[in-house]
Amino acid sequence: MNFLAPWFLLGALAVAGPVLFHLIRRSARARMPFGSILFLRPTPPRAVRRRKLEHVALLLLRCLSILLLAAVFARPFFPKGNASPPPAGEGRQTVVLLDTSASMRREGLRPKALALAARYLEKASPADRVAVLTFDQQPRTLVSFTDWSAWPVGQRAALAKQRLEAVSLGWGGTHLGLGLTTAAELFPEDANPADVAGLRDVALISDLQEGAKLDGLQGHDWPKGVRVIIERVDPERRGNAGLEILDAAIASAGDGREARARVANARDSVRENFQLGWSSEGGSGFAGKPVQIYLPPGQTRTFSAPALPAGAATGTLRLTGDDEEFDNTAYFAVSEMERVTIAYFGSEPANDPGQLRYYLQRAFPDTPRRQVEVVSAISNSVYSLETLNRAALAIIPTTLNADEVKNVREWLAGGKTALLVLTNAQSGTTVAALTGGVDAEVSEASGEYALFGEVDFTHPIFAPFADPRFSDFSRIHVWKHRRWTIPPALRARVLAKFDDGAPALAEMKIGKGSLLTLTTGWNPSDSQLAVSSKFLPLMQTILDWSGGVAPSRSQFQIGEPIPSPASADDVLQWRKPDGRVVGVATGKPFTETDLPGIYTVQAGSRLRHFAVNLLLDESRTAPTSADDLARVGVPLLVPAWIAAARSPEATQRRLQREDLEARQKPWRWVIIGLFAAALVEIGLSGWLGRHVKTLGVKA
Amino acid sequence: MPGAASTAPFSLAREHSFADPKALMAIRNLELRARVVVEGFWKGLHRSPYHGFSVEFTEYRQYSPGDDTRYLDWRLYARTDRHYLKRFEDETNLRCHLLVDQSRSMDYGSLTYSKSDYARTLAATLAWFLHGQGDAVGLLSFDERVRDYLPPRHRRGHLRQLMLALEHEPEGRRTDLSEPLRRVAELARKRGLIVLLSDLLTPLDELERSLARLTAAGHEVVLWQTLDPNELAFAFERPMLFQDLESQQDVYVDPQALRSEYQSRLTGHCRQAEVICQKLGASFYRQVTDQPLELALVDFLRGRHRRNKLIRRGTPAFLQR
Repeated sequence: MNFLAPWFLLGALAVAGPVLFHLIRRSARARMPFGSILFLRPTPPRAVRRRKLEHVALLLLRCLSILLLAAVFARPFFPKGNASPPPAGEGRQTVVLLDTSASMRREGLRPKALALAARYLEKASPADRVAVLTFDQQPRTLVSFTDWSAWPVGQRAALAKQRLEAVSLGWGGTHLGLGLTTAAELFPEDANPADVAGLRDVALISDLQEGAKLDGLQGHDWPKGVRVIIERVDPERRGNAGLEILDAAIASAGDGREARARVANARDSVRENFQLGWSSEGGSGFAGKPVQIYLPPGQTRTFSAPALPAGAATGTLRLTGDDEEFDNTAYFAVSEMERVTIAYFGSEPANDPGQLRYYLQRAFPDTPRRQVEVVSAISNSVYSLETLNRAALAIIPTTLNADEVKNVREWLAGGKTALLVLTNAQSGTTVAALTGGVDAEVSEASGEYALFGEVDFTHPIFAPFADPRFSDFSRIHVWKHRRWTIPPALRARVLAKFDDGAPALAEMKIGKGSLLTLTTGWNPSDSQLAVSSKFLPLMQTILDWSGGVAPSRSQFQIGEPIPSPASADDVLQWRKPDGRVVGVATGKPFTETDLPGIYTVQAGSRLRHFAVNLLLDESRTAPTSADDLARVGVPLLVPAWIAAARSPEATQRRLQREDLEARQKPWRWVIIGLFAAALVEIGLSGWLGRHVKTLGVKA
Repeated sequence: MPGAASTAPFSLAREHSFADPKALMAIRNLELRARVVVEGFWKGLHRSPYHGFSVEFTEYRQYSPGDDTRYLDWRLYARTDRHYLKRFEDETNLRCHLLVDQSRSMDYGSLTYSKSDYARTLAATLAWFLHGQGDAVGLLSFDERVRDYLPPRHRRGHLRQLMLALEHEPEGRRTDLSEPLRRVAELARKRGLIVLLSDLLTPLDELERSLARLTAAGHEVVLWQTLDPNELAFAFERPMLFQDLESQQDVYVDPQALRSEYQSRLTGHCRQAEVICQKLGASFYRQVTDQPLELALVDFLRGRHRRNKLIRRGTPAFLQR
């Protein structure tokens, strides 16, 4: 018999206690009240009894209980020849989960991680199966169980190691939770838990940085028998600092004002003084004077960076004074003002608060990123198709003439969006005209007023209002609305209804585009919509949803898709920071943002710049505690500090012993013996107690 | 005396089963215990041949001229057509003092009850019995000094007071027999019955002198020694510390080595008390607490019967032995 935690056997020394007590409690200590000692004379205790143990059976039971208790804690098991033999026909299944996030770019981590992964490949027996996964923000399968099983037995480790050698580290963040859950899902689910106990391991090879995301681990239903072995790799040097440019400051930076950068210094950092400045053209030094910053370890602060040189479309903000270079550069692309045109088909004056236009113009205030212009029919008596094509959204509050209908229909068919407002009962003709002659019956609704009764929050227009804090539309009184019987041929989707069941807002497809139909106006005579808090966000979401607005952001993170800018070309040529050009169809987002740097794309006549940067969390490289993983329910094999303190060979031996102990579970029998001994001891001591009393008083 | 003759004028029926002392002592009320004993005793007697029974001896004698006709038994005359005089002791004038030892040594008991419980029940039984006969009964409880004293009375409520006084638990740290005997000699001016209930586990140096004073005054003295069966057998096995209940002194004793010596010394002590009683014409009874109380009552009545016979013959008791 062997023990997993033999130091607990020291507890067996506690048997000295009962032995001592049984020696001390000699019979002479028993005191018996007696009527009179008149006829008694003292008799000297007999010497032979002085060292005699009292109640030997009881003493043995007590000693046995203590020994069994110590044995339970010491976790006994029976060693078998070659430790950790898998059951016949059953092999160990191991998923090697290799961290390839940006933080693993620190000096010395990659060779260590690859060596650890290779060891798992080499020690696999022919019955074993190994899979290799890499992960940063997304997991990727390098070697699957199927691959491993398909390879010749003698070449499995070599082939897998070849793939390992080809692994390059990425720039993404560390989504540890996703990596672990993906690895655990590789194991078949139909196995019997008893059969696979101790045979399913996930070997996590990572720097375990505290910036890793653990989302999805809490409450995850782990497959039976899976254990996670943490193999932490430590860098040559401790500490790291990183930076990011604050998104809110981007627009103002282009105007020559100061940019603001957030700098994070890791908990285990030894450096506190850094310099922050724009990189010079060659990249070796600073353009201008850098800012000196002081940042104690474990803190994250925001600093004002020097102003970007005038006229520059892009810039590179650098942080020096840190030993680890991978996250000391932040890229910056000046965002351009987006000018959006909304075609308004009404002809009323812009300053009439009783009309729709008055409120529409105020619904789109200018922002640093976007300037919205509502172009009315007053300046353009008839909207030409050319004029319409510049518009992102059309709003039609009136009856259109035949030319306008034709233009609008053509414009809509090209994938645009228009909002038709039914301001009176005659608006039905406009609906019929725009929908291609489908008769639509529109009449003024009777009654005092109506309220919004049903809103489809699953539609993108209303999705931002889905939160219960913002979903209350019932306070908006609608004084007048039009009752519109939607013909089934239109296949309209009703997005909102009034409390009388009449549709309030409906969407119909016209070619590639959409026609939104609102059965009431937002002018005060029709409803309170314009003065409610819902009006501005509703108009903004309609504008955003229309698809006619190009992305105004120029700052993205690794792995984040960049929306396609508007262009007449079918395919946009994206140039990555490494010079590679990737063609992506216009309208589809660019997803290959796997490198930090400046991405450029030629959209029409304009060259657009987009900056892609690392996540600041990757700069928080101080190692996290394995307790954090255990706390979210990860089935760890051993505490990380033990794993860190042991050599690989000792770890291997320990794992084998733990496997044996977990399979045999002899502690269960020891516990049963302990209970039995305790019960007998209780019974015997009770009986002896009564017996002694009987001897003394009732004889 | 304990060894009563088989020709005694009263005996209990063979089929009569006595109350088990354990069951009897389980009754918490002392008065009820006494009542159970006396009534059971009466019940047993009624099943046996009747030879005459009383605390004081009674007899019939044929009338002869000159006798006081007030004592003629007219009922007997009606049945037999003969004149008999009813002769009896003046029982209503019997004054009994019950002297009960309340020292801590009486608190010992290897059964479910102590010697004190047993002795107090015995005292209560006697009191109940005598009171039922119309005698005056008093109580004097003592340890190293006199605790309670109730003069002999035969009136309503007196028995109840006596029972309440008997309920007191033993408290005394020492036993002094001479003091209560001296006090009772002072208090009992008229001749009467003095019953001393004690374990007598105390030096008996003064006992003879104290008893002599009572017997000299014409009192009839009865000593009732109450002992636990374990005090007689000393059936302990393991060596241990024995603690004196009165003095709280400890003495380490190996019972197996000391048993015979202990029993010999105890027997000698008891014999000493018995000899003193014989010498002074007092009665001595030993009652072990596992024996039925009815037997004690039988012994007591037999003893009195024998004693009164001797007195009637005009022969002093001590000359008959």
